[in-house]
Amino acid sequence: MKRFIHILLAAAATGGAWAKVDLSTLPERETVQLTIYNSADLTLVRESRPLTVKEGANSLQFSWENTLIDPTSLEMVPKAHAGQIDISELVYPARVRNLGLWKVQSEVSGKVPVEITYLTSGLSWRAFYMGTLRPDEKAMRLEGYVVVTNNSGEDYENAQTRLIVGKVHILDQIAELARRQYPYGSPQDRQVFRDERSETLGRELKVYFGQAVMAGAPASKGKEIVKEGLSEYFLYTIEGTETIATGWSKRLPSFAADAVPVVNLYKYEEERYGGQVIRFLSFANDAEHKLGETPIPGGVLKVYRDVGEAGHLSYEGQSAFKYIPVGEDVELNLGAAADVVVEPKLMEVATENYRFDNKGSVSGWDDVQRWRIEVRNTRDVAVKVEIRRNFPTSYWKLDNEGQVGVYEVEDMDTVKYTLELEPQTKQTFEYVLRMYQGTRAEDWRK
Amino acid sequence: MKVRTSMLMAVAGMLVVIAAAEARIKLVALPERSETVIRLDNPTATLIEEERVLTLQKGLNKVDFSWKSVSIDPDSIRLTVLDHPEDVTLLNVSYPPNEAALVWEIASGGDYAERVRISYLLSNIDRLVTYKAIADKAETKVDLRSYLVLRNFSGEDFEKARVLLDYGDSFEQGIAHEETKQMLFLKGDGVPITKVWKWDSAALPWDPSKLNNENVGIPVSYRIVNDKKSGLGEFALWGGKARLFQDDGHESTIFLGEDNSALVPVGEKMELYIGDSRDIVVTQRKMQDSRINLRKNNRGDVILYDTDEVITAKIENFKDGPAVLTMIQRIDGQWDMEKCNMKYERKDAFTLEFEIELPARTAEGPAVKELEMHYHRRNVRP
Repeated sequence: MKRFIHILLAAAATGGAWAKVDLSTLPERETVQLTIYNSADLTLVRESRPLTVKEGANSLQFSWENTLIDPTSLEMVPKAHAGQIDISELVYPARVRNLGLWKVQSEVSGKVPVEITYLTSGLSWRAFYMGTLRPDEKAMRLEGYVVVTNNSGEDYENAQTRLIVGKVHILDQIAELARRQYPYGSPQDRQVFRDERSETLGRELKVYFGQAVMAGAPASKGKEIVKEGLSEYFLYTIEGTETIATGWSKRLPSFAADAVPVVNLYKYEEERYGGQVIRFLSFANDAEHKLGETPIPGGVLKVYRDVGEAGHLSYEGQSAFKYIPVGEDVELNLGAAADVVVEPKLMEVATENYRFDNKGSVSGWDDVQRWRIEVRNTRDVAVKVEIRRNFPTSYWKLDNEGQVGVYEVEDMDTVKYTLELEPQTKQTFEYVLRMYQGTRAEDWRK
Repeated sequence: MKVRTSMLMAVAGMLVVIAAAEARIKLVALPERSETVIRLDNPTATLIEEERVLTLQKGLNKVDFSWKSVSIDPDSIRLTVLDHPEDVTLLNVSYPPNEAALVWEIASGGDYAERVRISYLLSNIDRLVTYKAIADKAETKVDLRSYLVLRNFSGEDFEKARVLLDYGDSFEQGIAHEETKQMLFLKGDGVPITKVWKWDSAALPWDPSKLNNENVGIPVSYRIVNDKKSGLGEFALWGGKARLFQDDGHESTIFLGEDNSALVPVGEKMELYIGDSRDIVVTQRKMQDSRINLRKNNRGDVILYDTDEVITAKIENFKDGPAVLTMIQRIDGQWDMEKCNMKYERKDAFTLEFEIELPARTAEGPAVKELEMHYHRRNVRP
């Protein structure tokens, strides 16, 4: 497939007949900058080209066969001779596709550098992480990568590549705008045009072909990625330029942090995870955890564990995680675990404090349940366990017995017990739950 | 004139019409279209006004107006006599069967080369408006550009026409069938903006920790006022798609987002939703919801009660800059506030609005504010 973006410059066409351009110069792209988004299929392209204009009216043809450019986003701005060059009109001629004509009125003749910007579809990036736990699982080496993929139909050579972290609001998918027969649609499909609403595009990402970076290996000579905040976004600028041909992907290291302190956290909540204990790795995106310079974009983390002197690894699991702002705690879900066991048992039930109405029917009572919870850590490392208990009513009281640990009320019908368990130990605690049913709720006081 | 399609106009003398049953005979003199005006002041329909010179003979004249490959609302066609309005009268209009045409019967007091204006509503030609705004790095102002997009899919080529909007001067523009033209028509530099973060308890999840690996984005908007102070305010800003960019401080820009703006009359605000902030996190929980002040009937059934409800919301700002969060809370029915630790404005019977100032995060962690509302809903029936 032949893909191209062409610019033709023609001497002023007379009499308003744009049609055929016969004189042309084809200025080369001097620089190109790509700003790629990951929350939408969207890239802002900015390229500079030197144009040769004549004094008076010039018409400039820009065409983009087989690419995914949104024609309504095209803009050209002269970077010199301010006020002497007026680009006021862009015409999308009849019966021709993928072509725009700029009407340029110039008071100068000669070379004029211009900047052309447009939005295109087909370029994407994603974040990807590798974590390597120390044998004691108290710290983890964390490495972040970005994978940039170009399926835009256009080869971008020596492009300054910038990546945007953030959730951008768009109305129309750029790919749809690029495929439209008429750039702004036609009045017949006006309703459709106006009512189109965007959904975040779940782009399928291609397998990447970039050279593999070994897990655990220091990212020597890796390109630096400069990170800075702008509005609600984070801008990652990759040092130097990149050449990404269409169809190709490239993986680049984004950051590496040694010895990020982590907590082995296990969670149990029947209503949410069924009867399973779920393992989490918990840390925070802050300085204390050797991180915290920038937010961490959402992505997939593969976790390995260092299992010996020869540098062998065992695979612990993977977790997809969300965007983590600077300072926020992270909990990475590594899936169900069998080596930490939480066993709640209902030990005793009773009903008490019956109330009766005028007709002698039961109108209120207390349900009393005694629960015993046994928590076993069969692992050879210390763990932290969070157990959430949800109650079917907001009229309840609780009496605790045993090694309860920290216990807190999360909301009107949820409590959380937090326990710390040394390697290969077990803890047991009990609680008595009293639920005020029917008119007994009238006697309930917080 | 390059006519692809056509509007034909025929002037037929009375003499040739013999009987109504006969086929219509057209003696065609095709008067040139002179001044043409495309009026785009009504966003739902485009009015075309064109002037032509009719050669009228004294007495009754029949003028045939027909069109092909274009869509004209026949009821919208009007004929205005310009040179001798007192001496030339339109008597009636008849519509021939199965034809896109009509016939005017005109009484003329003399032999005139009469200028007339024909007006009609033409389909599939219209205009759109789009906006492009570039915010400064501090997000205090934008350079606003507005473009007029003319779309002509009417079937008719307009080589030269005066285009009229609902304000400002008309301008000359030609536009061919199937052509789209985008023109700059408004330039406003340094238009002040207000950045707004809005969390609505009815629209967003309360407890992000209950979601699986999902961030709750708090919608962020730019507010622009269409008034003199903003350097605008001369006319209503038409609705259209707005694309927002921001100066990145490296002689380049980033794309912030896009939104559709409704028509903004002078003095009113335009609010453009650009994207979601994931650096402000709201965790809202209901800590108490119980029935109090129970009132019972003779059978002992509760027939009326009040509630005792406590809602807490923890607001964390992880941004390295301050922000003002607009928080919307809703309480249905009759209610009164027992205690609230933050000021609010009651927007309507069931809506409370808080403006919560959040400082930037520090080295210790995010800036945190906690809202606690203790309220009672009154006279609730089970």
